[in-house]
Amino acid sequence: MDILGALLLKPFADIGGSPLFFLEVVIGGVLTGVMYSLVALGFVLIFKASGVFNFAQGVMVLFSALTLVGLMELGVPIWLALIATILVMIALAFAIERLVLRPLVNQAEITLFMATIGLTFFLEGFGELLWGANVKKLDIGIPDRSFDVGGILVNEFELFAAGIAALLVAVLAVLFQRTKIGRALRAVADDHQAALSVGISLTSIWVIVWAVAGIVALVAGVMWGGKSGVQFSLSLIALKSLPVLILGGLTSVPGAIVGGLVIGVGEKIAEVYWGPYIGGAIENWFAYMIAVAFLLFRPQGLFGERIIERV
Amino acid sequence: MTQVAPASASTKSIGEVLLKIEDVSLSFGAVHALSEVGFEVRDREILAIIGPNGAGKTTMLNVLSGWYGPDQGGIVFKGVRRRRLRPHEAATLGIARTFQNVALFKRMTTLDNIMTGRHLKMRTNFLDHALYWGRAEREEIAHRETVERIIDFLEIEAIRKVPVGRLPYGLQKRVELARALAAEPTLLLLDEPMAGMNSEEKEDMCRYILDVNDEFGTTMALIEHDMGVVMDISDRVVVLDYGRKIADGPPDRVRADPAVIAAYLGVAHADA
Amino acid sequence: MSETNRVALADTIPKMLAHNALEYADRPAFREKDLGIWQSWTWRQVYEEVRALACGLRAVGLKRGDKISIIGDNRPHLYWVMAAAQSLGAVPVPIYQDSIADETLYVLDHAEARMIVVEDQEQVDKVLSVKDRVPRVEFVVYRDARGLRHYEQPFLRTYAALVESGRKLDVTNPAVLDAEIATGKGSDLAIILYTSGTTGRSKGALLTHDNLIVTARNANQSEHIHADEDVLAYLPMAWAGDHIFSYVQAIAAGFTVNCPESPATVMNDLREIGPTFFFAPPRIFENILTQVMIRMEDAGWLKRQAFKYFMAVARRCGAKILERKPVALVDRLLYAMGQVLVYAPLRNVLGFRRIRRAYTAGEAIGPDIFDFYRSIGVNVKQLFGMTEASVYITMQPDDDAKPDTVGLPMRDVEIKISETGEVMFRSPGVFKGYYKNQEATVEALTADGWFRTGDAGFLAPDGHLKIIDRAKDVGRLTDGTLFAPKYIENKLKFFPNIKEAVCLGDGKPYVSALINIDLDAVGNWAERQGITYTSYTDLAGRPEVYDLIQANIERVNRDLERDPNLAGSQIRRFLILHKELDADDGELTRTRKVRRRIIADSYGMLISALYSDKSHIAVEAKVTYEDGRAGLLKADVAIRKIELADVPVPLWKAS
Repeated sequence: MDILGALLLKPFADIGGSPLFFLEVVIGGVLTGVMYSLVALGFVLIFKASGVFNFAQGVMVLFSALTLVGLMELGVPIWLALIATILVMIALAFAIERLVLRPLVNQAEITLFMATIGLTFFLEGFGELLWGANVKKLDIGIPDRSFDVGGILVNEFELFAAGIAALLVAVLAVLFQRTKIGRALRAVADDHQAALSVGISLTSIWVIVWAVAGIVALVAGVMWGGKSGVQFSLSLIALKSLPVLILGGLTSVPGAIVGGLVIGVGEKIAEVYWGPYIGGAIENWFAYMIAVAFLLFRPQGLFGERIIERV
Repeated sequence: MTQVAPASASTKSIGEVLLKIEDVSLSFGAVHALSEVGFEVRDREILAIIGPNGAGKTTMLNVLSGWYGPDQGGIVFKGVRRRRLRPHEAATLGIARTFQNVALFKRMTTLDNIMTGRHLKMRTNFLDHALYWGRAEREEIAHRETVERIIDFLEIEAIRKVPVGRLPYGLQKRVELARALAAEPTLLLLDEPMAGMNSEEKEDMCRYILDVNDEFGTTMALIEHDMGVVMDISDRVVVLDYGRKIADGPPDRVRADPAVIAAYLGVAHADA
Repeated sequence: MSETNRVALADTIPKMLAHNALEYADRPAFREKDLGIWQSWTWRQVYEEVRALACGLRAVGLKRGDKISIIGDNRPHLYWVMAAAQSLGAVPVPIYQDSIADETLYVLDHAEARMIVVEDQEQVDKVLSVKDRVPRVEFVVYRDARGLRHYEQPFLRTYAALVESGRKLDVTNPAVLDAEIATGKGSDLAIILYTSGTTGRSKGALLTHDNLIVTARNANQSEHIHADEDVLAYLPMAWAGDHIFSYVQAIAAGFTVNCPESPATVMNDLREIGPTFFFAPPRIFENILTQVMIRMEDAGWLKRQAFKYFMAVARRCGAKILERKPVALVDRLLYAMGQVLVYAPLRNVLGFRRIRRAYTAGEAIGPDIFDFYRSIGVNVKQLFGMTEASVYITMQPDDDAKPDTVGLPMRDVEIKISETGEVMFRSPGVFKGYYKNQEATVEALTADGWFRTGDAGFLAPDGHLKIIDRAKDVGRLTDGTLFAPKYIENKLKFFPNIKEAVCLGDGKPYVSALINIDLDAVGNWAERQGITYTSYTDLAGRPEVYDLIQANIERVNRDLERDPNLAGSQIRRFLILHKELDADDGELTRTRKVRRRIIADSYGMLISALYSDKSHIAVEAKVTYEDGRAGLLKADVAIRKIELADVPVPLWKAS
């Protein structure tokens, strides 16, 4: 009875007891969720446009953050370092298209997936080779402190991060829905053969998505790195975005965003309210539990395409 | 049909050679898909490529649109000789095509599908979008107008906003034609434009093909099985059999050609 | 007052148009969606264009009393041709645009048309195919030149050239046309509308300006229709309804006529325009509702529940609120909530966001459908109208609309029921007779001006007219049981799965039915059930579909059973037709009414199988395409017997 009470009643009583604190937890969760969303977004973009499940997305986050910090440590001012890093990510996209994707064109998906694993090891090693393996502190000038909004504590840095992420998503949405390039991207995602026949160049589309994914990774890397330091574990948040992808569907941009928020909020609530009764560290596995539940009941994800197609 | 064809044939002026195929050969392993096939496509004409199944018709079309590179021979388009074309290159040169099994963007709307046909006509690039939103927007509107004319021409107003995956097959074929037309092609390649259609849909498609040829002066090369259709709409017919050209000429003469009759009688009664 | 006087002075349509050019000068008169954008013309522009057209037509020889035929979809330009012809005292004769060549030939020949104005190549081809059999036709004018560039027949003219030449003439000498317009008077013939009779050749109803204008003004006044209305002109121009709603009434009131982009886009255009004044036959209201229901079934759980709940609220009190009758406060509040959450969005989706009145007529409307629209605040009303009456005969008042009556007589209309039960009327709108058909005119019109409608009906105690069936269609089974086919068919058609039903029984031992399934509704159902099908014919033959339809028929049988007069006319055998009944095959009229005689002829084998022990029968059917070509369709049609366990053994079995 005690255990049941602790799991089923107490947490809700806690939530009801202090709604303001609950709100604070939710906001905290949303802000973490935004990070997950960003990483998942990188996955989705590449998967949609090229059918490649990019295992290296996580390490791209690390690599971009390392590059930025490395440049700053060399005394480059932050705005210049940011532009330089963006250029590096774009150059990386060109290199990947040229050296990895093009030679493997028309190969099985699993081959491409393996290639991205290879890419993961390469980027990890290359990053460390260039910038060293130490934990680095990334200071982008936004203080990591909390302030009070109507009785709720809000972290300034996280708020800023969420704002940037929202802006990024808005820009991407306009790019996808309202421009020639967006239409071409959607076309390539839909049917390669047809896209070729209207003169859309697959290679340039690939470069664009990888570059965009690289920039998204940079934003995630800066935010995350600024919060907890730039270190190897940064590439592990890619693992957190797997449940997000399951939740949101591998091909859905809104799915990636909502999925990230759901996971972020869900695990925060679980940690704060259920953690004490189960023994803590729920945050580490809660997301996967949600993902498994989803796999059972809605395998196509929240926004993924229906698997049953109309005849 | 019968009212339209003679009228248009009598007044149409077929021009210079637009495309010349020079002794193209292509093998897949031991299979000789094409053996030294050569013919010409003239400006403004409708050329039909026919032949029994496995004669190499679709292979020929794929060579013309750059999907396959020939082992031997070459392609002279607008006076420039090339060993082979890439699909992207063919599109840039003004060669548009449709596919036997419809290759559309199934999740995109009819309008978006046709707009992609304008892809190469759009001049703005990534940077313009970022820096000069107004210019990109104006360009979008101008292209939309062209696309609306095509929508009107092919009478697909009602499905403008419908994802093409939900459309019946006959309409999908029409959207695919619309997308090819949006590129304002010099040469339009149609791979069995009437496959899988009922007679009413076929008749509509025939009318559209003739109207396009007439109104825009588009040169067309098409593969078709329905001999009635071929005889009605084409100015010239090229017959392939086992990867070789066995006849080339106006429909009436080709129909009477003993080699053609033999090829058809030997292989497929139904098509003749 | 002066305004009414001036309007009253205008006794012809062209004079009213001239008045509108001054009175409503810059207000929109017509709109048409072209290349994805709504184009619009003001009354002044329209008047100028009509004048130019009239001068152009006059220059090519159109004279007072000449007939000019018009064929095409609803296009502003074609309406203007009507007005231009009328300006010269010539008589427009619109022809149904989807008529086969043979029907078109008949009307052209019978009306002695001197000119034809058509929309595009399709119609030009059709006219060309019969041209040598109508030597009286001197010119064929077309508007859309696409595909016609190489047509070199000397009698072809373009609309643009006609207007251009006319415009010059009108500028140099406007007095000529002014005089022509002034010569016209109310008693002149305004139009000949060929009615698609359910039997025999169509007849040309002669309507004068007086007929049309008085009827239109009466309707505008009693229905409070003013210059701020928007109507969607989407029903055939050759049909009296469209002529009065989108032409005479529009010109009389000065409101805007909106022409859809193409027949296929009507539902979209309806949504974009959001007309305030709308007419549709019951089947269209039904189709729209079916679409909504199908979409609702695909919607999410929450949406579905909200829809269900608030539709129940609407059923309870919606119609009463529309009719301003007392309603409990709770319901009123719930309805207001539903208004925001469900009804208003729903009306918006349906294209009824601005609707003030919607009319239906022609056939009985399903009570469910009727109540549905009224309950969500769409003021649907039934009217009774005929071509020969310039349309309006009776109309339901806003606050007293019932699904089973057609309302009260309109202003200046008298109604009586003959001894045989036939409805008769007399009104200023009564036509002048059928063109060149004295016999039919005498048969329909009494010496003192009463018109025999051919419909059986009666006046209810509250004064509302009730129509039961066509007078000649009411029949008897061999045992003498009353058999009202339309009554049963309508009950069947009220099920969304059944698109068309034909009941047989007159002179037969029992009632049987031929059913046409609704491909949308049944197709969707099949999809949800995981039943795959390749075509209409395939779906129609599925045993699961037979089960579905049988359940519907059994419901109708239970209804019939309750009425002692009709219990004997329950349906005992039925089959689902392998093809859709089609106006092109002559099985339906252009207004989609069933043609019984033709169906009896072409489905004779099926019908005799219904009165045998066969459980299925192989058939071939001829189908006619729009251009007049014929094809052949083969199928094996199953026949179902329906057991009526709890019904007393009918007489015919006992004997």
